[in-house]
Amino acid sequence: MVPDTALKPDEGGERARERADAGRLQRLNILIGALSVPLFVLLWELVARSGIVNIVLFPPPSVVAVAIFEWMRSGQFFLDLTASIYRVTTGFMIGAALGIFLGIMTGQFPIVSSLLSPLFHILRPIPPIAFVPIVILWFGLSETGKLFLVVWGVFFTVWLSTHIGVQKVDRGLIRAALMLGTPRRQMLQEIILLGALPYIVVGLRTAVSISFYTLVAAELAGTFAGIVYRIEIAQQNLQTGQVMGGLAALGLISFAADRMFAALAERTVWWR
Amino acid sequence: MVALMQPGHRSNAKLSLAIPQPATATERREPAIQVSNLSIVFDTERGQLIAVDRVSFDVPHGEFVCIVGPSGCGKSTVLNTIAGLEVPFEGEILVEGLRVHRPRPDVGMVFQQPHLFPWKSVRRNIAHGPRMLGKSAQQANAIADDLIAMVGLKRFADAYPNTLSGGMQQRVAIARALANQPRVLLMDEPFGALDAQTRAVMQDNLLELRDRIKATIVFVTHDIDEAIVLADRVLIMSAGPGRILRQLNVDLPRPRSNAILLEPTYLALKKDCLDVIRAEGLRAFRQSDET
Repeated sequence: MVPDTALKPDEGGERARERADAGRLQRLNILIGALSVPLFVLLWELVARSGIVNIVLFPPPSVVAVAIFEWMRSGQFFLDLTASIYRVTTGFMIGAALGIFLGIMTGQFPIVSSLLSPLFHILRPIPPIAFVPIVILWFGLSETGKLFLVVWGVFFTVWLSTHIGVQKVDRGLIRAALMLGTPRRQMLQEIILLGALPYIVVGLRTAVSISFYTLVAAELAGTFAGIVYRIEIAQQNLQTGQVMGGLAALGLISFAADRMFAALAERTVWWR
Repeated sequence: MVALMQPGHRSNAKLSLAIPQPATATERREPAIQVSNLSIVFDTERGQLIAVDRVSFDVPHGEFVCIVGPSGCGKSTVLNTIAGLEVPFEGEILVEGLRVHRPRPDVGMVFQQPHLFPWKSVRRNIAHGPRMLGKSAQQANAIADDLIAMVGLKRFADAYPNTLSGGMQQRVAIARALANQPRVLLMDEPFGALDAQTRAVMQDNLLELRDRIKATIVFVTHDIDEAIVLADRVLIMSAGPGRILRQLNVDLPRPRSNAILLEPTYLALKKDCLDVIRAEGLRAFRQSDET
């Protein structure tokens, strides 16, 4: 038992017992948490092999694992992965840069806002997927068309959050900065950008998942490599294992991207 | 430190941080702040609202003036106008002989909220002003470190504002306002958001600080006790429209502290203030009853 001079012996005993109970409960929770995915996979395997469902349409995880292994061994996985990641990251960066730049402009200058905001508010609610047909007409099956869709999806989210962030910068901070002799032209980098940063970061994080949605639309529209493209091809060949493997890969990438971005965001807005 | 010294003015060079030193004898004779016929009208949904009505007063160099009045009497508006943050207005405001139309680095301001830059450490918050005025990072940090010592926050120089208590944040805000060595320091209910005990400590701190910096101070508050403890002179304002009702000289000895709250002379002064405010309150009440 832990010696605890501030407490009477019996009270100390009770405390220690409570602490031990709390510790046991916590370990139990961690154990159950670790079992969550394996239990699901086991159940899936059993159901798929039980004969209740069609094994061709609903293959067990073991078949999916073999499909993924084959995909990787053929070297095609790496090509698909780089093609998809290239589209997402390039599209994200272009869309984010445009969104931040125009968000600052419309947030800072009422004239720019009057000019652009009505237009953006009309275009923003149109789901990017709806642009697939016209993108095919304009760009064919080229990479430009894919990038256009991702950029389009990312841009409006980042623009809106930057615009709101700039408008919501604490007026008190601006007044304080003015009183301290901050020149107007330095106000942007010293106060406005940093003041809007928490909003911008939230917008960018939302845009990460949006960029994956639009990637799906872009690759379904027709291409020659990519995770979603591979899923579509596998579906046409009734390779259900490969389809599910593709879904798992897509889930993992998008999960990893979100985690990485969350970690990055924490460092960017360090004062929160 | 060396950069801050003004050699020859004072034996205690460390304390000469923000002493305004008028360049000529004529300049010394004119007041630090001259407000003449200041009127401010706001356009509201219900028409024009006269927030401040022909207010005039002077503040000589080095004086500590408190403006008291009920909330909404326009006292903060007057202060913001002297700061150059409130335009347009009618009338004329001269600070150090120059007409006010925009914020100036020789006029410092402490707001009711600290308004510290949350992404900057205490040191970099205080160094911000000198940096903006073109000082090197090294010089600015030296100024900041002196002020940090002055407000007793040495242990927190590298802390971020959100880790500090309200009182400490306001001390940083005061140090930040002093970093540009302002000739005039404007304070808009700076202790209004603090609890009573912290407020009393901050008042004593400010009185100590004031003896060192010797800047002209205009301090706005709705707390009569606070005004009398701090000020050389109290201006009492009325609401709707904001006017100056009366001026009271506070002839209590210095150095002062919160202990004077129990002195008979203090109580007599406070009674004067309360009488003026009560009479005004009654008048306003009757007036609103008639209309």
